[in-house]
Amino acid sequence: MAETAVKARGRRPGRARLPGILPRGRGWRVLLSVLAVAGIWEVSTRTVFTNPLIIVPLSRVAERTAALAASGTLWRDIYTSLAEFALGFAIAAVVGITVGALMAVSDAVHDFLTVWVSALYATPTVAVAPIFIIWFGIGWESKIAVAALLAVFPIIINTEAGIRACDRHWLEVARSFQATGFQTFRMVLVPASLPFIIAGLRLAVGRALVGVVVAEFFGARSGLGLLILSSSQVFDTAALFMAVIILAGFGALMVSLLSTLERKLAPWRAHSHD
Amino acid sequence: MTDPILSVEQVTKQFVKDGKSTEVLGQISFTVGRGEFVALVGPSGCGKTTLLRIIAGLVAASSGAVRVNGRVVSGPGPDRAMVFQQDSLFPWRTVLQNVRFGLEVRGVGRRQADALCLGLLERVGLGGFGSYYPHEVSGGMRQRVNLARALAVDPEILLMDEPFAALDAQTRELMQMELLRIWSDARKTVIFVTHQIDEACYLADRVLVMASRPGRIVEDIPIDIPRPRPLQVKRTGEFGRYVDHIWGLLEKEVRRAALTVPSEG
Repeated sequence: MAETAVKARGRRPGRARLPGILPRGRGWRVLLSVLAVAGIWEVSTRTVFTNPLIIVPLSRVAERTAALAASGTLWRDIYTSLAEFALGFAIAAVVGITVGALMAVSDAVHDFLTVWVSALYATPTVAVAPIFIIWFGIGWESKIAVAALLAVFPIIINTEAGIRACDRHWLEVARSFQATGFQTFRMVLVPASLPFIIAGLRLAVGRALVGVVVAEFFGARSGLGLLILSSSQVFDTAALFMAVIILAGFGALMVSLLSTLERKLAPWRAHSHD
Repeated sequence: MTDPILSVEQVTKQFVKDGKSTEVLGQISFTVGRGEFVALVGPSGCGKTTLLRIIAGLVAASSGAVRVNGRVVSGPGPDRAMVFQQDSLFPWRTVLQNVRFGLEVRGVGRRQADALCLGLLERVGLGGFGSYYPHEVSGGMRQRVNLARALAVDPEILLMDEPFAALDAQTRELMQMELLRIWSDARKTVIFVTHQIDEACYLADRVLVMASRPGRIVEDIPIDIPRPRPLQVKRTGEFGRYVDHIWGLLEKEVRRAALTVPSEG
């Protein structure tokens, strides 16, 4: 009895503090919060803020969503944007982890790239979206390029930090047990840097989404960004809010997926997040 | 010493820094018998850890050779395993997975490795803690894991680098007793580096006292205290005389070091 109590206490507290899916017994607060905001929105837009150009009741957004979904264009827009996001994010992940790893293991690579990485991470790179439209056209290529460009920097920076943070002692332990280079990579470097890499990916989600939507503003044939732009031009406030809610929901879903992944792959890090 | 398992032959080590060469170890020679427990004791900076790392094959000697069972050491090998100082455990691995590390490297099957490691955890007093992460257990328990990880690969020689230095006094005494218990079961040869004189005398069959600049062995002292040694041994006059004698050797050394260098090195 005492033994199990200690065990339960020892394992819980760290894990519970990660963002994302909450531990059992606390999810109701999230639900309550969502319901409260939805309720306030609905009531206030029916009573106080009644100008439909500025904001419309949530129920109107739902009606509009159903209509657009029935017509089929909504699905095409969602598909376009999410596909662009997925490809841009995937490219950013592959390039970011590779470049970050190279910068960590080679001082020469680090010295040549670090100025560009930090400068480009700090500047609002979305500003290149119009240029990318000119370069790559108004098809999906330009959106993927902008999303990847925005998302790649936090991944590079976190990957490099993660590998550099790998304790010298751990590498020495691997060597003393005669681990091969590949074993050291797989059994020490990868698990040691994984939490950092996932943190980088989590930061990259929002940036890739911004990249897709903003790039679509500057010219697209379909997509949620285009939907937002065209809705605002025809004062279709309900459709505009719908697109924003879909994007927000998708972003939240991605971040919580990555948090779950982190808890699965790096439960030991839960402790040091406090 | 009828059956030497380890021989250190005229080992020297120089470190070069900023074009200046520092002699860390000058001509060290000794042999260790099979199953013997040898402690290396000396002030910090005397090169005892460097010597241990040369024996482990983690650092190359500048000249001389280390032989294990007659074969010259050129790198880490399965005949030796190192018990590191605090915090060399992998935080992303559970206690059991940490102990299993060396076996995984050797490609031992999961089932077989787990069976072996669970048995080892029992032996080091950690039965039931296999699924804990290192940050969830105490410092003393982490060092038990460290010891079990080294024992798991069944080395002939255990190399221990101040494994109890970061523990509080009571835990350290307990761990010393535990180590002797485990050692008397496992019958490994042990090279134990420490700066604690009483720890060296309590544990070892032989204490090699080291001095610095350059690192060398000033005396090789057999500790003729019968085993098993209960903790009360530490309060006997015989034990006290060993400690006093070694302290006498080191005191000169520490004083000289304190006079010749501005800050402790």
